[in-house]
Amino acid sequence: MRRVFTAVLFIAVLSVVMAACAPTATPTPATAPTEAVQQPAPTEAVQAPVDPFDINPADFSGDITMAGSSTVFPVSEKIVELFKADGYEGMGNIKLDSIGSGAGFERFCTSGETDISNASRGIKDSEIEACKAINRTPIEFRVGTDALAIVVNPENTFAANVTLEELAKLFSNEAQKWSDVNPAWPAEDIHRYIPGTDSGTYDFFIEFVMQKVFSKDTGEEIFLGAANLQASEDDNVLVQGVAGDPYAIGFFGFAYYKENEDKLGILSVDGITPDFDTAEAGTYPLARPLYIYSDAAIMKAKPQVSAFIGYYLANVSDIIDEVGYFPASQEAIDAAKQAWLDAQP
Amino acid sequence: MENTARITGKRTATAWKKPVSYNLQKKTRPTEAIIQAFLLFCGVVSILTTLGIVLELGKEAWLFFGDPEISVISFLTGTEWQPKIGKFGVLPLLNSTLITSVIAIVVALPLGIATAMFLSEYASPKMRSILKPILEVLAGVPTVVYGYFALTFMTPLLRGIFGNQNVDVYNMASAGLVMGIMILPLISSMSEDALSAVPRSLREAAYGLGATRLETALQVVLPAALSGIIAAFIIGVSRAVGETMIVAIATGSGPNFTFNPFNAAETMTGYIARISGGDLSYNTPDYNSIFAIGLLLFLVTFGLNILSRAISRRFREVYE
Repeated sequence: MRRVFTAVLFIAVLSVVMAACAPTATPTPATAPTEAVQQPAPTEAVQAPVDPFDINPADFSGDITMAGSSTVFPVSEKIVELFKADGYEGMGNIKLDSIGSGAGFERFCTSGETDISNASRGIKDSEIEACKAINRTPIEFRVGTDALAIVVNPENTFAANVTLEELAKLFSNEAQKWSDVNPAWPAEDIHRYIPGTDSGTYDFFIEFVMQKVFSKDTGEEIFLGAANLQASEDDNVLVQGVAGDPYAIGFFGFAYYKENEDKLGILSVDGITPDFDTAEAGTYPLARPLYIYSDAAIMKAKPQVSAFIGYYLANVSDIIDEVGYFPASQEAIDAAKQAWLDAQP
Repeated sequence: MENTARITGKRTATAWKKPVSYNLQKKTRPTEAIIQAFLLFCGVVSILTTLGIVLELGKEAWLFFGDPEISVISFLTGTEWQPKIGKFGVLPLLNSTLITSVIAIVVALPLGIATAMFLSEYASPKMRSILKPILEVLAGVPTVVYGYFALTFMTPLLRGIFGNQNVDVYNMASAGLVMGIMILPLISSMSEDALSAVPRSLREAAYGLGATRLETALQVVLPAALSGIIAAFIIGVSRAVGETMIVAIATGSGPNFTFNPFNAAETMTGYIARISGGDLSYNTPDYNSIFAIGLLLFLVTFGLNILSRAISRRFREVYE
């Protein structure tokens, strides 16, 4: 009993001593050097070389928090990998969540937990307002282009091309069987696999397929009212579903198709197959931009976030086809780089 | 206390030796008091937690039903669930929860009771000491493992037997079957306790009348243990109704009002898991709907538990 008591007393005393020492010992010397290093050094470094995008990740540390679109996720993941391989010290300090564009903006603009928001659609006005309410002004950086892949089971040989109208009908409550859309197709139930209602991919499909073919008011209702509808925020759940179901149809970012090419079939839309040329030229009707968002104040307060975005923009076009998407046009990348330069302190 | 002290005093008085005074007064033991207070605290914490959960569920569900577009009646009778477009009929979710649970019980109940009967009536002590721990290993398997077992083993098996076009990739049958395996140890071990509790004299009387082992087990021991077995059954049902991980992985992620177990459909727990994983905005009907479903789920399992208590009290046969 006594021994326990002495142990407790010892720990108590120890913690008091440590608590007393800590504030006096650490902050003053610790904050001063970091400020001294970070303030003048980077500005000099930025001014001296010609290319401000020549960023050495080894010069930075600290945490970076990102969340958002599952479509953009593999791109950001790849950049994080490179950023670490190039010497970024903060191993494990980069947090990247794949939760859907809408949820990503919720964390960026409403709860303000993240530094960077990934999105497969442009930010909405309501989200900009939410951001303003917590004193954040979102800056948009275009990072690439996705061609939304319309996928079917490899056993599906009857449909190889769909028109935009057929596509909308396939995902509507007006069609129960494949033959309802096109009499040449079999009289089998359509099994639909769609991204969750909180994802940018979902929003994009509603806006550019359903609302275009039906009407602005009814598009979403017709879509969600359809039978045999499986919705998941996890694209791999959709891949698995379509891969195992001969009468399935689904859609998601091109990268997830690319990764599972052997298990899936892809449809051309209006006669155009999604590839580098058609996505770049914008002739593929379901090509769409991919973005990351941040805020100047965050980039100022956290130099590592700013460096990461600069590094992202400098390298994304070289690696994005590895991931399965297409590079944004040079003008779009230049505009993003300009936005980054403007946000520099 | 005083009484005993007096008695002892009397006895010592009659003795030869000098009276010895025993202090038999209640001794104050501070640690005892602390332990008692701690135990009381533990009990109160669990009660308060339950109350807190009920309050929180009720509060959030109240917000949901407070929405003028949603009525309790349409919630309970609607056959379409798509919160995004204002369709709040819980029947598809409830239906799929019931179908998976029924499948699970159909698997677990006969197997569980048969196992229990074998262990309690037929198995030699040595055999029981080997079999029981093995069975209990099943109870220790994490449910996420069961989930992937359903998706990657049971579903392909079902599709192999019934044909790919008849069985969906995500379906209720495979989740239900695997859930049955999961609750099997629960039912068998509770039933075995009930069977072993039947006094030996009953079996001996049956043997004495010339009954065989099977007749004794089925016609004497089983009816005598019925209350315990029914309780096991109901606890198994409520475990199946509340199970989340297996159905979230294997039954699919779209509400679907269907009675075909080979179709994909989302259960109440699966829906809650999917929606809460996607980080919804607070105070939207979609978000609040998960509390309404949670409350319904709670009421179902709570009702089942009360029923199980009532039944085991009603059918209890007291022998000794």
